[in-house]
Amino acid sequence: MMNDRQPSRVDQMLDLLVEEIERRMRARTSAPAAEPPAVEVVIPPVEPPAQPVGPAKSLAETQGGAEYRPPEPKRRPPEPKPEPEPELVLSSPSPSHATRMMGRLGLGVLVAIVLINIPLNRHGTTLATAMPDRATLVIRDGLVVKEEDDEEIYVYQDGHFRWISSLDAFEHYRFTWGDVHVVEDGFLDRYEIGAPLHVLLKCRTSPHIYRLESGEKRWIVDIAAFEAEGHVWEDVRFVGCGYLRDLPDGETIPPGSGPPPQP
Amino acid sequence: MNNLAIIETILRNRHQFFAEIREGVDLGQKMRAMLISVIAFFALYGAVMGSTHSLWQALGSAVKLPLLFLATLVVCSPTLYFFNLIFGSNQSLTQNFTLILTAITVTAVLLLSFTPIALFFLLTTSHYQFFKLLNVGVFTTAGIVGVVFLSQGMRIVSASGKEGARARRNIVRLWILVYAFVGSQMAWTLRPFIGAPSMPFELFRQLGGNFYANIFASIGEILGFFTVR
Repeated sequence: MMNDRQPSRVDQMLDLLVEEIERRMRARTSAPAAEPPAVEVVIPPVEPPAQPVGPAKSLAETQGGAEYRPPEPKRRPPEPKPEPEPELVLSSPSPSHATRMMGRLGLGVLVAIVLINIPLNRHGTTLATAMPDRATLVIRDGLVVKEEDDEEIYVYQDGHFRWISSLDAFEHYRFTWGDVHVVEDGFLDRYEIGAPLHVLLKCRTSPHIYRLESGEKRWIVDIAAFEAEGHVWEDVRFVGCGYLRDLPDGETIPPGSGPPPQP
Repeated sequence: MNNLAIIETILRNRHQFFAEIREGVDLGQKMRAMLISVIAFFALYGAVMGSTHSLWQALGSAVKLPLLFLATLVVCSPTLYFFNLIFGSNQSLTQNFTLILTAITVTAVLLLSFTPIALFFLLTTSHYQFFKLLNVGVFTTAGIVGVVFLSQGMRIVSASGKEGARARRNIVRLWILVYAFVGSQMAWTLRPFIGAPSMPFELFRQLGGNFYANIFASIGEILGFFTVR
């Protein structure tokens, strides 16, 4: 019979240890992770430890003196009460660490955004835009450039760079000096150069239209010439007749159409 | 702070959060809290992006970035809802909406966490194409994590309806592709968010081109192949 063999004290202690581990594991699996103490798997303290499964024996028997008693049926620990379903309510009403972190990060970023957008000088330079512009220009319609050693200003339109032929044209098309990007010499050689961008001048009391080029006014003889040059009425800028009269005359459009009339 | 607490619940205890959506618990409260957080986080990130150009661009992007995600949400959520419905889902449109909003919230939180990095590069480099691609990378990363959350959420929320479950999973995958396409086109429509250094401030830029061609062009310019036109 298996019970004839006397187990050592070490065996007894191991049995108790195994028993305790089993009890704790049962408790842990039946309880939510957050609150282990709530599990009601309790072994009454006055009771002897439950009979282990297999060859383990009672404490009295192993200590030698007492008569053999048939092993009592194993005491099952009280069934753990079924845990209530977790409440479907959002937990952590009070801000925890991650929440505080998010709040502080958001606040910090907000402060940083304000700080980097404060103008540092009268030109409105901010910390965010203070880095020298090392970026390649994005070539899009409306980009205005000027080569370093050239006075002429070009604007990019419909796949071409077009020379802006006069200050009047520059102003008429509402460019500002802030729009002009200075590029290295030879930059424009890489692109197609389109027709120059002129401005047409007219005063209200005269029917004649003139094109301003290099400081001279060039009379456009008729509508056919106007259209042949690719002009539209939006190109026409109204100026004072006196201003127009003071401009020196250039070649007519088309050339050789006689002396230009004065506005 | 309670609005931020819901984000912590999503991040730490997403299964419970999705279970609550499945049960329809406090959907209105959840949506409101997520909307507030999402708008705040996207606005902050948008302001950082726009700061590279000007204060006006920063303000414009702070408004447009939340608009981008919320408009994409509104455009895409009915598709997901009706396709799920066809394949046996019993979720309501509000549940679908909340789920997608959860994904967007996760994206927004990750964007907030990337904000210091974006700020660092904003202050240490001014290369427009680099900064643009950096942000595309950040948005892609945050977006992917967001839709992973959505995918998990869909599985949990529709766990009760076994009928057509596989088809619904495929629908979610396809829908994520649609969502990405709609989102990128929406971003292209609402651009600029950063603002090209050679251009004046503009709230919206004229249409033309497309998002993907522009990204490839930017990569090409960074690698020195050509100049972006």
